[in-house]
Amino acid sequence: MTTIATTEEPTAPARRRRRMPLAAAIALVPAAIIVAVVYVGCMIWTVRLSFTSSRLLPNLDFVGFSQYERLLSNTRFLTSVENIVLFGVLFIAACLVFGFLMAVFIDQRIRGEALFRTIFLYPYSMSFIVTGLVWQWVLNPTLGVEDTLHKLGLTFIDVDWAVNRDTVVYALVLAAVWHGAGLVMAILLAGLRGVDADLWKAARVDGIPTWRVYTSIVLPLLGPMIVTAVVLLAISVARLYDLVVAMTGGGPGIASDVPAKFVMDHLFERSNIGLATSAATMMLITVAIVLAPWVYARYVRPQVPR
Amino acid sequence: MKTLRQALLATCVVIALPAAAVAQDAEVLHWWTSGGESAAVKVFADAYTGAGGNWIDTAIAGGQNARNAGVNRIVGGNPPTVMQFNTGEQFSELVANGLLRDVDSVAKANNWSDVLPKAVVDAATRDGSFYAVPVNIHGQNWLFTNNDVLQKSGVEAPQSFAELIAAAPKIKEAGFTPLAHGGQNWQDHVLFDAVVLETGGPDLFLKIYRDKDTDAAESDEFRQAAETYGKLRALTDEGSPGRSWNETTNLVLTGKAAAQLMGDWAKGEFIAAGLTPGKEYGCTIMPGGYMMGGDVFVFPKVDDEAAKAAQDKMAELMLSPEVQVAFNMKKGSVPVRLDVDVSAMDQCAQAGMKALQDPAKQVASHNFYSPDLVGTTRDVITQYWSAPEMGTDEFVENFVSAMEAAY
Amino acid sequence: MSLPPPDPEGRRPKTVTAGRVGVYAFLVISAAFFLIPLWVMLMTSLKPMEEIRLGNIFSLPKLWTIDPWISAWSGACTGLECHGISVGFMNSVQILIPSVILSIAIGAVTGYALSFWRVKGANVMFGCLLLGAFIPYQVFIYPLVRLFAATGLYNSLLCVVVVHVIFGLPLMTLLFRNFYQGIPIDLFKAARVDGGSFWSIFLNVILPMSAPIIIVATILQVTGIWNDFLFGVAFAGRENLPMTVQLNNIVNSMQGERRYNVDMAATLLTALVPLAVYFLSGRWFVRGIAAGAVKG
Repeated sequence: MTTIATTEEPTAPARRRRRMPLAAAIALVPAAIIVAVVYVGCMIWTVRLSFTSSRLLPNLDFVGFSQYERLLSNTRFLTSVENIVLFGVLFIAACLVFGFLMAVFIDQRIRGEALFRTIFLYPYSMSFIVTGLVWQWVLNPTLGVEDTLHKLGLTFIDVDWAVNRDTVVYALVLAAVWHGAGLVMAILLAGLRGVDADLWKAARVDGIPTWRVYTSIVLPLLGPMIVTAVVLLAISVARLYDLVVAMTGGGPGIASDVPAKFVMDHLFERSNIGLATSAATMMLITVAIVLAPWVYARYVRPQVPR
Repeated sequence: MKTLRQALLATCVVIALPAAAVAQDAEVLHWWTSGGESAAVKVFADAYTGAGGNWIDTAIAGGQNARNAGVNRIVGGNPPTVMQFNTGEQFSELVANGLLRDVDSVAKANNWSDVLPKAVVDAATRDGSFYAVPVNIHGQNWLFTNNDVLQKSGVEAPQSFAELIAAAPKIKEAGFTPLAHGGQNWQDHVLFDAVVLETGGPDLFLKIYRDKDTDAAESDEFRQAAETYGKLRALTDEGSPGRSWNETTNLVLTGKAAAQLMGDWAKGEFIAAGLTPGKEYGCTIMPGGYMMGGDVFVFPKVDDEAAKAAQDKMAELMLSPEVQVAFNMKKGSVPVRLDVDVSAMDQCAQAGMKALQDPAKQVASHNFYSPDLVGTTRDVITQYWSAPEMGTDEFVENFVSAMEAAY
Repeated sequence: MSLPPPDPEGRRPKTVTAGRVGVYAFLVISAAFFLIPLWVMLMTSLKPMEEIRLGNIFSLPKLWTIDPWISAWSGACTGLECHGISVGFMNSVQILIPSVILSIAIGAVTGYALSFWRVKGANVMFGCLLLGAFIPYQVFIYPLVRLFAATGLYNSLLCVVVVHVIFGLPLMTLLFRNFYQGIPIDLFKAARVDGGSFWSIFLNVILPMSAPIIIVATILQVTGIWNDFLFGVAFAGRENLPMTVQLNNIVNSMQGERRYNVDMAATLLTALVPLAVYFLSGRWFVRGIAAGAVKG
C-alpha cells in the first residue's frame, strides 16, 4: 500500500495544496463560524468593554485606561495573579512528576494493572466542585485528618492547610493534583507503551541501569506527550474557578483568590463589568504571550510532511 | 440521530410554552433554599395557590448564582415572572434600562406609601414609582446567644462587643467558643459593620458608605472600631475560615459556641430547630443603631397580559397583612408594614419591631450603597480579618484607597 | 500506531526483589491517596448524622443506613419542592446525549479537514481556537446570552447543546487533528487515487479507524458536560435545568443543620454516570491515547 502511493506521487505537500475541494472548505464552516463569532467576537467584545465604565449592564462609552490603572493598583488582583502563578507552576510540575512516576511503576508488569489505572484515573471524572467540597472536608481542622490525628494522640501534627493563609494555595494544589494526576499518568503510560522494545534490550546489553534509561532515553521520547499534558493542565489553570469557590471561597481573606474568581465577582456581584473585562483582557494577553509562539510553531506554520 | 430529533422537538415545545401559558402562572426565581427560608417562601406559594394561581418555583442556591441566572434571563428576553433581589442598589440599573415593570397601580390601590416606613418606600421606588415589593426587614446586627452555654460559663448575656470580649476568657475556660464566626468575606463584613455602628453610630456608618467620606475613615472612632474588630479574631474557633453562616449558627444552636453576630435570618434556623427565643437562646440588637436590610421582589417587563395580571396579584398578596405576618414569622424577619399586629410574633421580632419605631436609630445596611464600594471595602476588611499582622494603620490606609477606587 | 505486541522477554526484570516491593509500595500508597476522598464520601453517606457529628470521618459506620441515599435521590428539598436530585437526572441525560454526539461529530470533521486537506486560513482558525480554550468561560456568558436572545434560541435545550458544542470544539478538534496526523498519509492518498471524495474518504476510510479517539473524546465530553453547572444554569431554561443545579441546591441548602450524609450521597449519585463511564471504559481510555490519540 505504501509503495503504490509513494511511487505514484512523490511530493505529498505539493499535491495536497493543489487540490482544495469545496467540500473540505464547507466542512470547516461550522468551526469557522464558532471561531469567528464566539471566540474572536467575544475576545473583541471583552477588550472593548474593558475601556468602558460598564457596571451591571454593558455600555459603550470610552474611559481610556482607567480600569487598567485601577486594576494594577488593586491588591486583590495582584494577589490573585501571584496565586495563579504559584498554583500553576506547582500544579503542573507535581502532576507531571507524580503522573510520570505512576506511569513508570504501572509499566513494570505489575499485577492488577487495570485496577491501579482505574483508581488513579477516576478522580478526573469528578467535577472541580465535588473535588473542592471533598477536600475542604478532609482538610477541615474540626472534622477531617487533623481531628483524626489529634484523637490518635498526635496533637503535634496540624493539618490546617486549607484554613491557613500561608498554606492554602498548597492545599488547592493538593486537591487539583488529586484530580488531574491520573490523566497525566494515562497519557504518559500510553507513551511508554509506544517505546520500542528493542531499546530496552539494547540498554540491557549495554548494562545501563533502568533508571538511567528512563531519565536519559525514555523521557525525551515522551516529549510530545508531555507537551499535550501540559496544554491540558494549563487550560485548567487558566480557568481555575470552581475548585477555589467550592474549597476555600478565595479565603482566608483573599489568600487563595484567583483571576477567574476576581473576574466573576466583578461581573455580577459588584456590578463592575468594566473592571472585570479589563482583568479578563489581562489574562487573555498573558495567555496569548505565553502561548502564541508555541501555537504558531506547532500548528499554524505550514508543516513538513509527515 | 433520533435523539437529536427528539431534542429538537423538545426545544420546539419549550419555545412554544410561554405563549400558551395559562393565566396566573407565576414563575418565581429566588435563592431561598435553607430550612427556615424554604418554610417562609412556602407561605407565599400557598397564598398564591390559594388565590387561584399556580406558583412555579425556580430556586437556585446562592444569591450570586440566582441573580446571574435572573439577570441573564431578563437580558435574554425570557424573564421569570417574579424575581428576588436584596433591597438596595442591586436592581437600580435594571430599572434605568427599562427592564422592570412598575406596580404602581397595585401600590396605589393598597395605599403602600402610607403603610410602609419611609425608608422602605425610598428603597422600593425609583423616581416615585414602585419597582419592587419589599417583603421583610432584616436587622443585621443581632447577637444570638446560647443561654445554656452562657450559664455554664458563668457570664451574663453580652450587650456589646466590649462585654463579649470581656466575657471571652471565662467562656473559653468553660470549653466553649466565645464567638462563632463564619470566615467568608461577606460575614466578615457584616461583623465589621456591626462594630462600626456600635463605635460610631449611624453617623459614622453613613459617612463611610453613603457619603464615601474618607475623612471619616481616618477618624479616631473608625480606628477604634478597627481595633475592636481585630480583637474579635481571638474569640473564634479554628474551623472558622470558609464556613457558611448556617453551619456557624449551628454551633450556637448545638451548644458549642456562646454567640454569633448575624442578621435575624439566623433566627429562622433556631425556629426550624424548634427552639424558643428567651428560653434556649437569646437575641440582642447590638448598640449604636438598628442596621436594616431586606429582600424585595421585582417584576421583569412582560408583554403577556396574563403574566402582568399574575405579577399584580403576586405583588398584592406579598404585602397583604396576613401573609406578611405569616411569612416573617417563618423567615425570622420583621414585617415591612407598620400597621400589622405583631403580638403573635416572638420576643426577638417584637424587639425588632420596637426598633423600627425609632427612626433616629435606623440605618440602612451596606446593600443600599454602591455595590462597587461595598466590594472594594469588603476585600480590605476580609484581608484584615485574616491577617492579624496588618496593623490598624495599614488597614485604615487600605480602606481609604479602596474607597477612593470605587465608583 | 497500535499497541506494540507484548514483549515476551527481557524488557524489564521479573524477579521478586526489593525493587518489586518498592514498586508495589509506591502504587499502594498512591492508590490510598486517590481513594481517601472517595472512601470518606462513601462512609459519610452511609452514616446517620449523630455519628457524623462525632467526627471520625475515616471510620466505618457503626450504624449503617441508606436513608441518605434515598433522601438525596428523591426526598431532599431543593427549594420549595422536595424531590431530591432525581428531578434533574433526565434533563442531564437530555443535554448530555446530543451535546456529546454533536461536539464529537464537529470535532472529528474539523480535525479531519485540518489534517488531510489544505484549506486556506484553516491553521489560523485552529490557532485562534486553541487560544480561545484558555479564556475563562465566564467572560463568554453575557455576549452569548445576547446572541442567543437575538436568534430566539435562548433558554432552550438546543441552546445549551450549542453552548457545549462551542466550548468542546477546541479540545475535540485538537484530539482528532492529532490523531489523524498519526494515520499514514499514504492511506489517504490511496483513497484519493481511487477517486474518493471528501466525505466518502471520511466515512469509509478515516471514521472506521477512529474508534480509539472517539472513545477518548466521549469520556472527556461526558465528564465535562455532565458536571457542568455554569452553562446549564445560564442557558438551559428552567424546564431543562441539569442535575448539578439540584446538587448545588442540596449542598448549599442546609436544613438548619447541614446534612453531610445527604450531601455526600447526592454528590456520589451525581458523579455516578461519569464514574461508570470511567470504570467501564478505563482500559480503552489508555489504549485510545496509546493509539496516538494525544500526541501534542
